[in-house]
Amino acid sequence: MKKKKVGIPYALYFYEYYPLWKEFLTRLGVEVVLSRPTNKSILDSGIRSSLSEICLPVKVFYGHVLSLVDQVDYILIPRMVCIEKGAFFCPKIIGLPDMVKSSLSSICPIISPVVDVRKSYGTWKNSLFQVGQLLTENTLAISRAISLSWENFQKNYVAHLLDPKVLRPASLIEGQDSINSKRQWEEKPINIAVVGHDYLIDDSYINLNLIEKLKRMKVNVLTPGMVHPAMVKKQLKKLYKPIFWSLSRKAVGAALYYFENGVEGIIHLTSFECGEDSMVGESIHHQSQKCPEVSYTEFVFDEHTGEAGINTRIEAFLDMIRRKKRIENSLAPSW
Amino acid sequence: MKIALPRLGNIEVMNETIITDMGHELIEIPPNTKRTLDLGVRYAPEYCCLPLKIVLGNFLEALELGAEGLIMAGGWGPCRFGYYAQVQRDILLDLGYDFKMIIIEIPRGNWNMLWENLNILRNGRSWSYFINQFRLGWQKILLMEKLENMVLSVRPREKVRGVSSRILKESMLKIKKAKNREMLKQIETETIHKFDENTDFQKQNLIRIALVGEFYVSLEPFTNHHLEEKLGYMGIEVVRKNTIEAWIGPIMRLKIFKDSFKEEQEIEEAAYPYLAHSVGGEGQTTVGNVVLAHKEGLDGAIQVIPFTCMPEIVAETILKKVSEDLDFPTLTLIYDEQTGEEGLNTRVEAFVDLLKKRRKGVRMSV
Ligand code: SF4
Ligand code: SF4
Repeated sequence: MKKKKVGIPYALYFYEYYPLWKEFLTRLGVEVVLSRPTNKSILDSGIRSSLSEICLPVKVFYGHVLSLVDQVDYILIPRMVCIEKGAFFCPKIIGLPDMVKSSLSSICPIISPVVDVRKSYGTWKNSLFQVGQLLTENTLAISRAISLSWENFQKNYVAHLLDPKVLRPASLIEGQDSINSKRQWEEKPINIAVVGHDYLIDDSYINLNLIEKLKRMKVNVLTPGMVHPAMVKKQLKKLYKPIFWSLSRKAVGAALYYFENGVEGIIHLTSFECGEDSMVGESIHHQSQKCPEVSYTEFVFDEHTGEAGINTRIEAFLDMIRRKKRIENSLAPSW
Repeated sequence: MKIALPRLGNIEVMNETIITDMGHELIEIPPNTKRTLDLGVRYAPEYCCLPLKIVLGNFLEALELGAEGLIMAGGWGPCRFGYYAQVQRDILLDLGYDFKMIIIEIPRGNWNMLWENLNILRNGRSWSYFINQFRLGWQKILLMEKLENMVLSVRPREKVRGVSSRILKESMLKIKKAKNREMLKQIETETIHKFDENTDFQKQNLIRIALVGEFYVSLEPFTNHHLEEKLGYMGIEVVRKNTIEAWIGPIMRLKIFKDSFKEEQEIEEAAYPYLAHSVGGEGQTTVGNVVLAHKEGLDGAIQVIPFTCMPEIVAETILKKVSEDLDFPTLTLIYDEQTGEEGLNTRVEAFVDLLKKRRKGVRMSV
């Protein structure tokens, strides 16, 4: 029998959950087709098929879906509602399967399990199970696939956090105090935290290769993915009102963490027209006023953001940090 | 304490009952104007939604007048409204104002804050008096809303242009001063009588448009550029789909709200084939209401939304499909601080023309 093909659009929440779904589906003998990294034709088709006032990440998602339709039997678009107590996904993500269905008329069947851990039908297990049942009748195989892929997903998640490569930036930060000669200061890379939603930080096409650009300029880039979830949780306690969006929790918690942990600058990546960013950006901005020693800026992305503009902004930001460092250095006692 | 309540349509009718009568000094926030908007825009985050900006403008004007307590509703997502109070509080504190934000929301775990805030409002009066006044305030809002809904069908039929708005305004002032239910009843009868006197009942079969969309913009005339009046004067009967009753109802969950609860279910079911899950705000309600409006034989629907509104963008996307499937015209109006009167008028007029033509087409084919 021919293998069934399920397409996964590599955008939005799949930056986080792709490994889970991929392993689960593969274990069920399904062929998983992942869309290619965002490129011009994906972006263009996404823009063409969606309303102009939608945020860029959703447009990009549309593009990824369209790039898959001719190649697969099904497209997986889970309805992510709630994965932890007291927090939701953004309304556009909750309504994503319906939006895609409404806008794209010629589309293969969509598989959209509901993930809402408050409801018994919406636990991860049940959602995976429902999807499994669409693809095979062997319930035993489904159950086994669920437990194995869930276990691995968890393990990899933690392993990723314990990865020495990931921890390195922090140790660099600690080492910083012992260095105080002027020359070394100048040469030492700058530590900059880039915070925001994963699908902006990790999609180099949308963010115009920002991360690589920073690295090439000798910047040590830190991201929310490098902050332990427990730390994020602890930081969030400081807020007057808890944040009720799961994806933004990570971004804000990480930003607050980095403000305290010796980075020289924080860049908040936001999407123009993103509802979450407009609000949590305000929280981060407030924190930045309490920490004047950390430079802070916000880069707003939409489909019109140009390469040149971003380059200028990066340079200006780095200049500001270097100037600050030089001043601090010249004020430091010299002997 | 000197207390102010932000503006939303005619919600001010309950100000005296729940603020002055508790022994507080009421700070009447001036009507929404360009200045309110400008103030809000100046200090609010650039990309946040329009209602936050205008309400912030309200608060700034209230603080200028000496307000010490600001009443605000809260919430818990998934749309942005739940953060309004928090963000506004931060901004105002940063500007150096000294005040208390009295946030009324169903607490998550910690009931102390709600308790404390209710006690501030109660101001040492007995609970029974407090609850009674709240109920009365609520009755006032319900009556006001009822009259506002009636005006929508009176206005396109009024004998003298503008008379129904004037009657409504007069009644609003009376309701504000009313001390008990009997007085409210009397005002109601009087007003309805006046409406009847001024209605030209010959005018039948007017074009009817459902007004759906985001709660604040749809109910705040300054914010939606007096859309209801505009349509009324064009001879259109507007059917309002959002109500304060349905919005606050679930928060209070009192007996009188049973009915609105039933309606909610009906709306949800209507939306289900297109949007199978609530997306916060009025997203799903908007979709459901458009489907229902079609069923009820209305001519079309206008969706009003603030720029960047999350749930309504979901709804807007889906309405395209609903409109196609049902062959039911819809128009989406997006509001922000730059929305100009002329552009808006042109779009509304074009839409009304379309509906008129469709009517003729239907008649001819019959
Ligand atoms: S969180 Fe923001 S960027 Fe992401 S889908 Fe929602 S509005 Fe768009
Ligand atoms: S419903 Fe729309 S306008 Fe209202 S708070 Fe939510 S996002 Fe903002």
